[in-house]
Amino acid sequence: MTPDLKEHYDYSKWLSEKELTPLEKTYLTILIWADQRLRIVDYLESMENLYYKINMQMPRSHTEQYNLDNKFWYWYPLFALGTFSVIAYIVAAISGALLGFYYSPATAGDPSVAYNQITYIMTDLNFGFMLRSIHRWSAQVMVAAVFLHMLRVYFVGAYKEPRELNWIIGIILISLTLMFGYTGYLLPWDQLSFWAGQIGVEMALSIPILGEWVAQLMFGGFSLGQATLQRMYILHVFVLPFAVTTVIAIHIGIVWMQGIAEPH
Amino acid sequence: MKRKTYKKQKDNVEFPILTDGSGLMQNPVPPDDQTPSWSERKSRSTGLAQLTYEYFERARLEDQDIRSRADYLEREVLGFPMWPHEVVRGFAITSFFIGIILLLSAVAPPHIAAPANPSQTPAVILPDWYLYWSFGLLKLEPLNPALSILGGDKIMLDRTFGVLANLVVVGFLAALPFVNKGKARRPVEEPFWAAFGVAGVVFAFTVSVLSVKNLVPLNSHLLFDLTFILPVLFGIVFYSLLKTMREGYMYELNRRYYRLRPPKPYRPPKPPK
Repeated sequence: MTPDLKEHYDYSKWLSEKELTPLEKTYLTILIWADQRLRIVDYLESMENLYYKINMQMPRSHTEQYNLDNKFWYWYPLFALGTFSVIAYIVAAISGALLGFYYSPATAGDPSVAYNQITYIMTDLNFGFMLRSIHRWSAQVMVAAVFLHMLRVYFVGAYKEPRELNWIIGIILISLTLMFGYTGYLLPWDQLSFWAGQIGVEMALSIPILGEWVAQLMFGGFSLGQATLQRMYILHVFVLPFAVTTVIAIHIGIVWMQGIAEPH
Repeated sequence: MKRKTYKKQKDNVEFPILTDGSGLMQNPVPPDDQTPSWSERKSRSTGLAQLTYEYFERARLEDQDIRSRADYLEREVLGFPMWPHEVVRGFAITSFFIGIILLLSAVAPPHIAAPANPSQTPAVILPDWYLYWSFGLLKLEPLNPALSILGGDKIMLDRTFGVLANLVVVGFLAALPFVNKGKARRPVEEPFWAAFGVAGVVFAFTVSVLSVKNLVPLNSHLLFDLTFILPVLFGIVFYSLLKTMREGYMYELNRRYYRLRPPKPYRPPKPPK
């Protein structure tokens, strides 16, 4: 049964009666239009509830207990390393997406298509040399920042009691970051890439029992070729970005819930 | 961001602590009547769900117990304002970091090696620098024990040994919070673990050097020995250094300790019978 629309409040009348600037009027019109269809107010209310009801903090804060506010600032650079790795990750993602427009993972030809595309990016493409440089350096910086971040966490004992889980997630993240670096290292398909890949296959084969299976799965065979490059490419641009982004979100979410382990 | 202050409760008779997540009665925001409390949910459910709600109820009670007893929650300001403090600082730091990345990429752009050639092994095979440690752990074959039980054969293939060494290092790191427990945080409070960390960092460097041993102008046996001796040496030096520093810190640490728990009045020991 169609509800009688006359029962509804006449919002257009209400709008015309009010004295509004054009900006306010546009805003209210859009808001009312969207709210009548999506009931945004429900979501806003529940967000507000969340904001007031969930106290996303550990009950005890060390800075408060020992009055360390005035001593915190000189530790700040060390405590910004996590942020630094996220920023580097974002820069790498943007420059990587732009590089992805011009790269193709194919070993056909001599030198291979992949190698030719990198040469093209570095010599012919406008800003291509800069783009590749930025991508590579942001990756290097990310790895360095992640390592230093881990050292900071170790030396201030931040991995201890309530934060064991986040430490383990961090170990997973650093391994995924190294895998990111490794798969990216193989993509230009130059001599270094090829022989680094060779070492990778041999490492995979040396794993007891599972070795051959792992080598098949990750490298697409026991000798390097098109399948290897294809897999490294998909790992680098599809699998790892989703995995790493998700795990980073969980990692930071837990930091949000638990608070930062302050130095003392 | 200013909010109403919490006033410390001397007794909780007038204002009982609610265990449904709404906190003290004089909470700035009163609880929504529509939201069932944990106690209500508990009474309505059975089995595992009931247990879950019971736990939530209890956990909330603990939180609020701590809050009501702590005096450091009595304050006007709950945090720095997002705008402008945090936003300006965040923007400055972000720009600075991105600037560093751009500067590095402008100063030292990467180059590309010769195209892949399966028939010609280059003289130097290297991963990126951040994998040197892992690459170095693959070259530990002199440590792989040859057992007389096996007729002088090694216990496993050298390369399997190297891969296992990687797994052991990563596995130990993951297990660290369960190995080193306790509340101590400062390096001076736990000289052993701080020195262990220093030894670990030094080992990461030395094993990285080992991985490029054909580029290092040193006798390879000497290099191999140094790989393991240097970390231990650094560990010992830092251990004694931190122990010494701890003596200097003792006064401050004791003062802090006794501020938390005032010392008991002195009682002379009982004479032995």
